Amino acid sequence: MSYLSSEDDVAPLLYCERPEWQDVTPISQYEAVSSPIAPIFYTPEYKDATNYFRGVVKTGETSERVLELTERIIRMNPAHYSAWQYRYRTLLATNAPLDVELKLMDQIAAHNMKTYQVWHHRRLLITQLTSASLAKDPVDTATAELEFIGNVLALDTKNYHTWSYRQWLLAHFDDAGLWLGELPYVDDLLLEDVRNNSAWHHRYFVVFGRGSRSQATPAEEGEVLQREIRYVKDKISVAPNNPSAWNYLRGILEYSNTPFSTLLPFTEPYTRAYVQPTDDVVDLDNPKPSSDATLPCVAALDFLAEAYVRAGGDGVGKAVELWKQLANEHDTMRKKYWEYRIKEALEGKTN
Amino acid sequence: MTSAIHPTPTDRYPTATSTLQARTEHDIQARLEAHKASPQEHTPDGPVLQRNAHLQFLLRNLVQGFPARYMSQDASQPWLFFWTLQGFSVLSVGLDEQTRQRSINTIMALQHPLGGFGGGPGQSPHLLPTYASVCALAIVGRNGDNGGWDQIDRKKMYDLFMSLKQPDGSFLVSHHGEVDVRGIYCLLTVATLLDILTPELVAGTPEFIASCQTYEGGFGSASFPDWALANDGQIQDASAPRPPLGEAHGGYTFCAAASWILLQPYVKTYYPAKGLPTPTINYAGLLRWLTQMQGLEIELGGFKGRTNKLVDGCYSWWVGGCVALVEGFLGIGKSAEGEGDDGADGEHAWADVDDSLFSRKALQEYVLIAGQHSAGGLVDKPPKPADAYHTLYCLSGLSAAQHHVVPSDDRRADLLKAWQDPTDSSGDLAAQVRKLAFVDTLCWKEDEGTAKYFGGATNRVNATHLLTNLTATHAEGMMAHFYNQTLPRKGAKA
Repeated sequence: MSYLSSEDDVAPLLYCERPEWQDVTPISQYEAVSSPIAPIFYTPEYKDATNYFRGVVKTGETSERVLELTERIIRMNPAHYSAWQYRYRTLLATNAPLDVELKLMDQIAAHNMKTYQVWHHRRLLITQLTSASLAKDPVDTATAELEFIGNVLALDTKNYHTWSYRQWLLAHFDDAGLWLGELPYVDDLLLEDVRNNSAWHHRYFVVFGRGSRSQATPAEEGEVLQREIRYVKDKISVAPNNPSAWNYLRGILEYSNTPFSTLLPFTEPYTRAYVQPTDDVVDLDNPKPSSDATLPCVAALDFLAEAYVRAGGDGVGKAVELWKQLANEHDTMRKKYWEYRIKEALEGKTN
Repeated sequence: MTSAIHPTPTDRYPTATSTLQARTEHDIQARLEAHKASPQEHTPDGPVLQRNAHLQFLLRNLVQGFPARYMSQDASQPWLFFWTLQGFSVLSVGLDEQTRQRSINTIMALQHPLGGFGGGPGQSPHLLPTYASVCALAIVGRNGDNGGWDQIDRKKMYDLFMSLKQPDGSFLVSHHGEVDVRGIYCLLTVATLLDILTPELVAGTPEFIASCQTYEGGFGSASFPDWALANDGQIQDASAPRPPLGEAHGGYTFCAAASWILLQPYVKTYYPAKGLPTPTINYAGLLRWLTQMQGLEIELGGFKGRTNKLVDGCYSWWVGGCVALVEGFLGIGKSAEGEGDDGADGEHAWADVDDSLFSRKALQEYVLIAGQHSAGGLVDKPPKPADAYHTLYCLSGLSAAQHHVVPSDDRRADLLKAWQDPTDSSGDLAAQVRKLAFVDTLCWKEDEGTAKYFGGATNRVNATHLLTNLTATHAEGMMAHFYNQTLPRKGAKA
């Protein structure tokens, strides 16, 4: 397994110094251009490896040593998409063991989380590994993948590529058991940081992304919606000025065609300037803002105005009043946007 | 109207997100204090665009090149060219003949034998470097021998595009590559500039773009296709869920919104003619999300790329430019042509003229105060170093905040009148799409006399064509060539 590079510190020889590469003609980058603009100052190792890579691509060689070469380039520059692409072709052409490749990727991904190619390559491997006739068990494979992704997300909880890969994985395998594990996972992340928008998006993806495919009865769908509304209300009450949670609430109401006005009793306390003393009766369905909350909450005013204007009638006037407060007092950066909403509403456009 | 500077409320419930946010607010305010204490950074009119320092930065990159840490951009070389060359364009600086020829020669070395451009010589064709190469050629290229334009193999490029097409209407960015809306924006821009946008190429693409809009109103990177596909790989169930992969994000949202607008010539022509329901997106949700991304006063009104993330200078363009693009497309805040008083200052002047949905003044403030690096070049946020990427997108965002560039009915009428099609295939839908692609793209022009320059008119940068991120002159020159049209003169101001 020569292409599984060792971790020792000895600098490997340049390809131009290695006899076993003498049959490859290296191609320097700008052979035909005398003085290219905006040149990059490459390290000798990188220049050497990419010269040999261009040489290999030209002859179309796919062999085990190409795996070594592309790995070396990828380790120096994980965004080198051509090296990834050529590596993938070589893996297929040489019938290389893809589970070994996946192990190597575990190591590379952990250091290069923000590179598109790292995640895409995994996706290609996982698709291949579970589709071939001697397939690995899809659910086992996906379960191991989810664990790996979880470890990576623990280091960077908002990594975009990692999250979209997780979502692709779940949809691709579409296994009831896998979906089931996701809600507790999201819960944990939101307990750790209730403002993690990636986790909120994932929650939406898991709960509503499958739409009709979840095969829930209307009654079950109703229960899920109530559970989610209840969940987000609780999250809002501990930290009301959290646009992620309010956006989630708006999103699930729109998804289910639930009028915003059904949330008026919940929203109103968040739009007042201070927390009203509770008159002994605790309304479990409508948790109040925490006593530490900064009020009124801009997102709540936005929500309330939306509820009013959508209800129509004298709601329009109430919405306009709220938007004026937002424009002139509570959310002055968006003054122009709130004034636009006022104008549209007064012209009878419900937006 | 003035307002006190408040930190983002944390409800005394700190989390990793709020802690990082508070630190960023602190850094930006510290930069503001340093700015105030630094006489060379401002005049009585406000902050100064350090034009010369930025030109030196761009020139150094162009002529001397990039240090080894840019090795990570080895597969994005055309982007380094585009960011640098367009930086000069935004700063209204033209390049000498010799530099232009060197640029053309360098870019053309990246064209792949199979069509399209790669990230460097000998690299595979890829949609992103193809956009950056073609746009760079719009700036420095010309027709004729060695001019670049006529050496672009459009037939092979079209074949490449078709080979990347997926059943759900999306495109791979390269063979064995990923799907995302950046690639589609790049493809549509190039196809529009080079006159290779056909109904066949973009069939199903509007539906794909629409499927990437998330519940927040912005767009994610892609959507999951398989549930809508039959066993033969074709779209079977148009109503099947195609959930977005990844949350709403500024970069993807710009690409999706601009793609959506670039697709309108096809959408307007094809769906009615074929009796198909026109695909839709949620504009209200999009406008709300875009405007929500503008940071508070304490963040100097810079833009964020996602909910509960930090402001970053590059979103001055990806989100700030996108608000300008979408409000222009929807005709929001449209003033009578020729209205406004160029260059006036003071709070009241801003309130009257700033008829966008976002605060153009605040965005300029962010770029000028938080976005500039004292050694030249522009940045994500203080105290980060300058780089080629942030330099262009801060400047483009500044441009979008200074100028009103909108579709002009008058310009559109002139372009239509001047349109020449010797094949005269007026009943042909493809010909109709082609004409509209030309007219609808080039009718975007600056609403004369409405530009506003925070810090004074010496901070003026060039207006940017919002769909392509080129100047209007460069977009026009290239499109007139490839569509074989003579552009009507721009009407004198009435």
